[in-house]
Amino acid sequence: MKTSRFATFLLVLYGLLILGFLYLPLVSVGLASISKARYLSFPIRKYAYGWYEEALTSDTVRDLLVVSLKVAGVVTILSMIIGFFGALAFARYNWRFRKTYQKLILLPIFFPQTVLGLALLMWFNALGIIPSWKTAIVAHLVWIAPIATLVVSIRAFSFDAALEEAARDMGANQWQTLREVTIPLLMPGVTSAGLFAFLLSWGNFPLSLFSTGADSTLPEWLFAKMVSGYSPLVPTVGTLTVATSAILVILALLLAWAIRKLRPAT
Amino acid sequence: MTDASQPILRINALTKRFDDFTALHGVDLNVAEGEFLAIVGPSGSGKTTLIRILVGMDELSDGAVWLRNTRIDVVPANKRPTCMVFQSLALFPHRTVGQNIEFPLKLRKVPPAERKARALELLDTLRLPRDYYDKRIQQCSGGEKQRVALARALAFDPEILFFDEPLSALDYRLRKTLEKELKDLHRRTGKTFIYITHSLEEAMVMSDRIAIMKAGRFEQIAPAEEIYARPVSKFVAEFMGEVNFFDLRNGQAEGLLMTPETAAALAGRSGTLTIRPESLRTLPEGQAADLTFEGEIVAEYLLGSRMQYRMMLATGQEMIVEVLRENGVAGGIGAALRVGCDLSAAHLIEEARDAAA
Repeated sequence: MKTSRFATFLLVLYGLLILGFLYLPLVSVGLASISKARYLSFPIRKYAYGWYEEALTSDTVRDLLVVSLKVAGVVTILSMIIGFFGALAFARYNWRFRKTYQKLILLPIFFPQTVLGLALLMWFNALGIIPSWKTAIVAHLVWIAPIATLVVSIRAFSFDAALEEAARDMGANQWQTLREVTIPLLMPGVTSAGLFAFLLSWGNFPLSLFSTGADSTLPEWLFAKMVSGYSPLVPTVGTLTVATSAILVILALLLAWAIRKLRPAT
Repeated sequence: MTDASQPILRINALTKRFDDFTALHGVDLNVAEGEFLAIVGPSGSGKTTLIRILVGMDELSDGAVWLRNTRIDVVPANKRPTCMVFQSLALFPHRTVGQNIEFPLKLRKVPPAERKARALELLDTLRLPRDYYDKRIQQCSGGEKQRVALARALAFDPEILFFDEPLSALDYRLRKTLEKELKDLHRRTGKTFIYITHSLEEAMVMSDRIAIMKAGRFEQIAPAEEIYARPVSKFVAEFMGEVNFFDLRNGQAEGLLMTPETAAALAGRSGTLTIRPESLRTLPEGQAADLTFEGEIVAEYLLGSRMQYRMMLATGQEMIVEVLRENGVAGGIGAALRVGCDLSAAHLIEEARDAAA
């Protein structure tokens, strides 16, 4: 069937509208960050770039950045490890309570994050733990580790069990099988899981709000400043946060492309 | 094949029970050093379960497996001197052809230079170009992958090489080529091969002996010709290709004309008389063979140099007849047909034996 020109036009229009809906808000934040006005209002009459200098030299922003990076970094590493072993149990091996495990591990994803955050805060209090960026790692992991497990599982589901059996048949012990076959084959999944974990932790607000205590992550600070004490520094930091995520994704794509290119040629 | 020497593999009353059914019922089997044994059976007959137990992927419930003088069913898979070529081949997709072949050597800490030399040697053995060493597995065709998997198994240098239907995924012509190559490889390496397949044709082309499995038991273990000519049961007879069965009761069978000598030879015997379609020949009017059949052609098929007829006997039984094309009859469907064979070409499966199976 041939699509009529009018239908094509409608399809393109629809696509552009969706893209606009997704990206225009981000663009407006970017524009707000370079506005000279003290308050967020459109149209922007005068432009100024001083807030970027301010953001990059500010001690507050540096502290926020350090906290966010520490949390996201540790969450990423732990999610990759938990996701790897979790996925083996989830998708690779048959064991008695596998079905139950599969359901239980996914449940935290469906909890409202605010409730999860509140529950964790109460639990930390009960245990006498003072919330800080370290407790935020635990809180993030409750929600992100299951997602990482799922991401690695997608890879693990396509895994031919005979590969591990063949390695064993040819004399590999369990550790050698893991090192030579399982880990290298699941690695692409583990890398994607790490990327997801970083981005989800980096941008997370509800869990951080309840669990960081006196420390503050970038999203928390953005929210606090929106509520009181707004200045164009807020959209500036916001824009920089988005840029960091974008750069990370681009780097990951470049890395994947480079690995494909560097593999033994014909 | 050295029949006189001690068998390389002895399977003793091997039983495998799963929760709700028994896959193997105390099977016994001896395999001679250097033999090419094919284990054939329909799916669900227990052949894959058996091979998985032999290489150590699964545990047996009862019985014992001996490799020469060592009991190996208690040895973990990675410590057994056996190797298997998997149905999926199980080639490592993240490794090159060379790395795949070298894998068992790497595990044994063989120095890299020596490993590579051996891998290149094996590429020669399997008639793969040496520059395949650096190729990726994904760049190999189906037949090339087969050869790489074989090379890897040979690099392991196993006492016994097991095959779990490795050719089943290939197209007909490639399969035929590889069957012959495998037989040739067996001859050149002198290793003991145990080959599992559901295709009897494959088993007949390659193996010294065929073991036919049915529902967790060996139905018959013998060289191909013997299984073909003297099947122990209707199951084996049918498994070996098209066959005609006649119920013999006390030397009498319906639809069967016998000479007095034949009648005397069969007198008092009961069982299933099996006659292969190609052992029948067309008979001119008035001439009789040891066993003679008369009927009407209901269908005819041209099989290259041969002609196959389906013939309806007066008793209503249908019979398959296969003759050389030049000995075929004119007239086609509806024409009368008279065929016969020597008594020696017919095989009687005695009553008692088949009932047990």
